[in-house]
Amino acid sequence: MAGEEGAGQEKGFKLLGILDVQRTPCAKDAILHGAGGSVAAGMLFFLSTSRVRRTFDVGFAGFMLTTLGSWFYCRMNNAKLRVQQRVIQEGIRNKELNIYVPIILVPSLICHWAVLHLASLPAGTLKI
Amino acid sequence: MAHPSQLGFQDAASPVMEELLHFHDHALMIVFLISTLVLYIIVTMVVTKLTDKLILDSQEIEIIWTLLPAMILILIALPSLRILYLMDEINDPHLTIKAMGHQWYWSYEYTDYEDLGFDSYMIPTQDLTPGQFRLLEADHRMVIPVESPIRVLISADDVLHSWAVPCLGIKMDAVPGRLNQTAFITSRPGVFYGQCSEICGANHSFMPIVVEAVPLEHFENWSSMMLEDT
Repeated sequence: MAGEEGAGQEKGFKLLGILDVQRTPCAKDAILHGAGGSVAAGMLFFLSTSRVRRTFDVGFAGFMLTTLGSWFYCRMNNAKLRVQQRVIQEGIRNKELNIYVPIILVPSLICHWAVLHLASLPAGTLKI
Repeated sequence: MAHPSQLGFQDAASPVMEELLHFHDHALMIVFLISTLVLYIIVTMVVTKLTDKLILDSQEIEIIWTLLPAMILILIALPSLRILYLMDEINDPHLTIKAMGHQWYWSYEYTDYEDLGFDSYMIPTQDLTPGQFRLLEADHRMVIPVESPIRVLISADDVLHSWAVPCLGIKMDAVPGRLNQTAFITSRPGVFYGQCSEICGANHSFMPIVVEAVPLEHFENWSSMMLEDT
């Protein structure tokens, strides 16, 4: 059992030992964008001012801002997709219920259960 | 369920746990950036030759290091509070189950329609069949219909216990004389494991919780079978 699970799972790469960039959605893109932004900001600053120390500071600030910006942008898009996914799943589920009509005549638990479950469906879902 | 040497969360099986996972990723990214910033500042301070004994104050940096932490805290607090209130919502549960903690087993009661109750003991290691999980399997599972809101009322018969299922994002103390309530919806069918999470005596580690989410028809068959057996 453990061997099967180990074979199927990649070993994640953790930055600073805490952030698993491979398994955390949006993390890899955010860090890569941050690295690119850092290099770009630092190079631009150095080319314009030739100040080495301050270049590193600007580069680091560029890394932080680009990482944060990319992270939030990606997370917002992911959140919108998740909402859409739930709406689609709900729609598919309702569409299936339009076809399947549960006529259950067994008394007690099952009958009460069916009534309760069917009562929670939106109006017009069942077509008998 | 958990796999060996796991450090992170288990895969989510309920919408609330999915939200918790997303919030955890969000908070962890902020923690990572703060750690990187601190590391950079430490390295800068160690290697710098710029020292000035006459600096008395600096309004700009004081403003930055006051406003920035405040903004970070708001950035963390808002999603956190949103999930906190989301976890407290209980929207018209389809089924109510009572989970009672005993020394050292759980008992479950489905009393909405008929009187169905059973005990859930851990399967000892020597009685496990190949493929079963050590210290996690129980002889009777708490079976629930998938994608239905379930309310669980948790209490205890003797000492403190805690009913916890990590992949559902649930942990609730079982207190003698008190009824605690929690609710959840399972997003997918499957078997979800948990363990008692409050020290309760010698066999505290040997009273697992097993929740099995099945389609409605299977739940109906199971409940009929359990009623016949009792």
